[in-house]
Amino acid sequence: MTQTASRTRLPGAGVLSRQRSLDLLRNGNLLVVFLLLCVVAALLAPEFLTTRNIANLLQQSSLTGIVAIGMTLVILTAGIDLSVGSTAAFAGMLVAVLISDGVHPILAIVASLAAGAAAGAVMGGLSAYLALPAFMTTLAGLTSIRGLTYLLTDGTPAGGDLPEGFQLLGGGFIGHVPIVGLIFIGVTVIAALVLRGTTFGEYVYAVGSNREAARLSGLPVRAVTTAVFAISGLLAALAGVLLTSRLTIGQPTAFSGLELDAIAAVVLGGTNLFGGRGKVFGTFVAVLLLSVLKNLFNLVGLSSFFQMVVTGLILVAALILNRVLENRGDR
Amino acid sequence: MSEPQTPLLEMRGIVKRFPGTLACDGASLSVRAGEVHCLLGENGAGKSTLMKILAGSYRPDEGEITLAGRPLRCTSPQDGLAAGISVIYQELDLAPDLTVAQNLFLGRAPARGPFVRRRARSAAAAEAIRRVGGTFSPEDRVRDLPIAAQQLTAIAKALTMDARVIVMDEPSATLGERDLEVVFSVIRDLAAEGRAIIYISHRLDEVSHIGDRATVLRDGRDVGVFDLATTSHDELVGAMIGQARELVRRADRPEPTGAPRLSIEHVTVGDILDVSGIDVRPGEIVGLAGLAGAGRTTLLAALFGAVRGEVRARLDGRPLPVAGPRTAVRNGLALVPESRKEQGLFLGLGVARNAAIAAHGLVAPRTRGRKKTAPVLTGLGVKHASPEQPVGQLSGGNQQKVVLAKWITRGMRVLLLDEPTRGLDIGAKADLYRQVRRLADDGVAVLLASSELAELTAHADTVWVLHEGRNVARFDPRTTPEADIAHTVITGAKP
Repeated sequence: MTQTASRTRLPGAGVLSRQRSLDLLRNGNLLVVFLLLCVVAALLAPEFLTTRNIANLLQQSSLTGIVAIGMTLVILTAGIDLSVGSTAAFAGMLVAVLISDGVHPILAIVASLAAGAAAGAVMGGLSAYLALPAFMTTLAGLTSIRGLTYLLTDGTPAGGDLPEGFQLLGGGFIGHVPIVGLIFIGVTVIAALVLRGTTFGEYVYAVGSNREAARLSGLPVRAVTTAVFAISGLLAALAGVLLTSRLTIGQPTAFSGLELDAIAAVVLGGTNLFGGRGKVFGTFVAVLLLSVLKNLFNLVGLSSFFQMVVTGLILVAALILNRVLENRGDR
Repeated sequence: MSEPQTPLLEMRGIVKRFPGTLACDGASLSVRAGEVHCLLGENGAGKSTLMKILAGSYRPDEGEITLAGRPLRCTSPQDGLAAGISVIYQELDLAPDLTVAQNLFLGRAPARGPFVRRRARSAAAAEAIRRVGGTFSPEDRVRDLPIAAQQLTAIAKALTMDARVIVMDEPSATLGERDLEVVFSVIRDLAAEGRAIIYISHRLDEVSHIGDRATVLRDGRDVGVFDLATTSHDELVGAMIGQARELVRRADRPEPTGAPRLSIEHVTVGDILDVSGIDVRPGEIVGLAGLAGAGRTTLLAALFGAVRGEVRARLDGRPLPVAGPRTAVRNGLALVPESRKEQGLFLGLGVARNAAIAAHGLVAPRTRGRKKTAPVLTGLGVKHASPEQPVGQLSGGNQQKVVLAKWITRGMRVLLLDEPTRGLDIGAKADLYRQVRRLADDGVAVLLASSELAELTAHADTVWVLHEGRNVARFDPRTTPEADIAHTVITGAKP
């Protein structure tokens, strides 16, 4: 028996090459749109291409971006995490409170990240082991974790005199590059490597692609589900810690609505909301795209009300485009 | 009753082809008003296809249907209902969260403008329930009713649609004996009103009890119409299995020897499965025969830990722990499930990923994974354009081989095959069995469940017959005529 018999006509071969070019188009089109948008921005607003503006842009998008990477993993398993905004706010407050109470900053950071991961693991675990819908467990998380955040200080901001080193984390620069931007890029690269190169990554796709087949193949379906929520919680907590570090203060009201921004970026990045298909790179580009868009609006002086309308319309347009390309790919 | 009269329903020369199979090959059926007409046949004889054509779910490739002398052309189930044909499927397509009244008039509720006339609907529903002898209220939620009452609801629904032909697909499969008697008396009343009832069942006792006449289908064709009052069970069974079926040539193999690898001591699942004393030796293929619902799938799923049951079994002499698929896989069990697309494969993922997913520590797109999956896929002859090609794009036969590849890459001691050739053409079937045989020759113990008796007798070393959840007889397919096994499959007893 010969390897995939080149003599016999393979019905799949033509389909596949077309599939590949479509994949390229689908993955590439976001990048193309992103670059075009940058060109337009540079033409419309000369200050767009200044290092200062680019650095600002990266700094603003990084926190949402870090959370969106975690969200990508969750959505790849066909789950959803609505609690990220509250988790981020909680971790941001916790780290400020702990440091103010004299805990060593590194220990405070580790504790806050652990708290985020634990919260994610609980919500994911409830959904995995008791078969509760993730939408509901994380919606419950959204409210109760936000409540806990307020309870920490009775609703007032925390911190104020955080150590200089800690402030560098969220607000510092290396050369012209903001440290949070580097962290965002690092998180993206690690997530991409994990998804591409580890068994866990394979399982994430498998669970999202066909849960029942994954179960009957002996995969640790419930552990994988729990793990992606823990990772999402961890990354949300990281975003919270970074914000506190930049603002030098913990804000209990921070990050409201973050979950929607993150989900929007993930879906815009081409990840299937029903699991099994998608890449963190798509999410990465989508996060930048959304924030360039916002930046552009600001530079040309569009009101924020108008911005909201246009951002929504662009999301819908992108989804329609993806659907059109996908239908063509399925044929 | 048996006065000659013109039939109410006639189906003549129905042909229906599906890719790779001929489901109906000139089947005819003639049913009189006022009779309970049974439809008999082995698995795959064409009963369900014929009834789906009658209902309008499928369109026949050839043949004609007349209802009360007028040609009937249904292109959708709605047409069938409008013409007065109502099919009550085994799984009763009722909406479980709606009330009985809502179900009875689904889509046809009496209304004034946009408002449902609840009271009128309730009254009409109560009347329909009374006619089928039900004692439940029209406002009861279907989910809360016992199965028998749900069955009556489905019949009442047929009545409210003024059905002239009512098809009942194995109602006894889900009913207990006393409930069945209630349903039977309703069926007799309906027939007495001049309706025609087509009753599908595997159980011959029941058929002679309720039916007036029976049409037997075999291989997509009608082979005879019998007056049930004067026909013995043996005659019916003979018609169902046919007499002179060709013996499939078997490859001669050495007798598997050695201690059993898998020893099924006792497996029970609720009250639907109670199996004991089946052994599978390394290199042996043990076939499981039985009618639909006889427990083949449940037995395999219970062994694999995919459904919960009481399992006492030994693997290579040691007790087999059963805690779930994960444990099963760790112990070297492998399951090729009944429905490969829903349970076996990740359709959107690539061929290589699918093949590597069960093997721990293998990452398919990387070289290490490739090295392991490529020879397996080549050895099985999986035709694919590249390792990244999504499995969903492959043909059925190649998809099934990818499911096998998944387990070969991992390695296994026991292979559980559930209906592995469903939907495959003859060439792909032969190819698949060749691969299974090779695995057996390498020492894997194979448990093969199939509704295709010919495949079992051709490929299995031993055939066990399951009947209503019990393993009733064991045959050596080399020395037993297939007809004897078929007889046992239908009746549950050796001829």
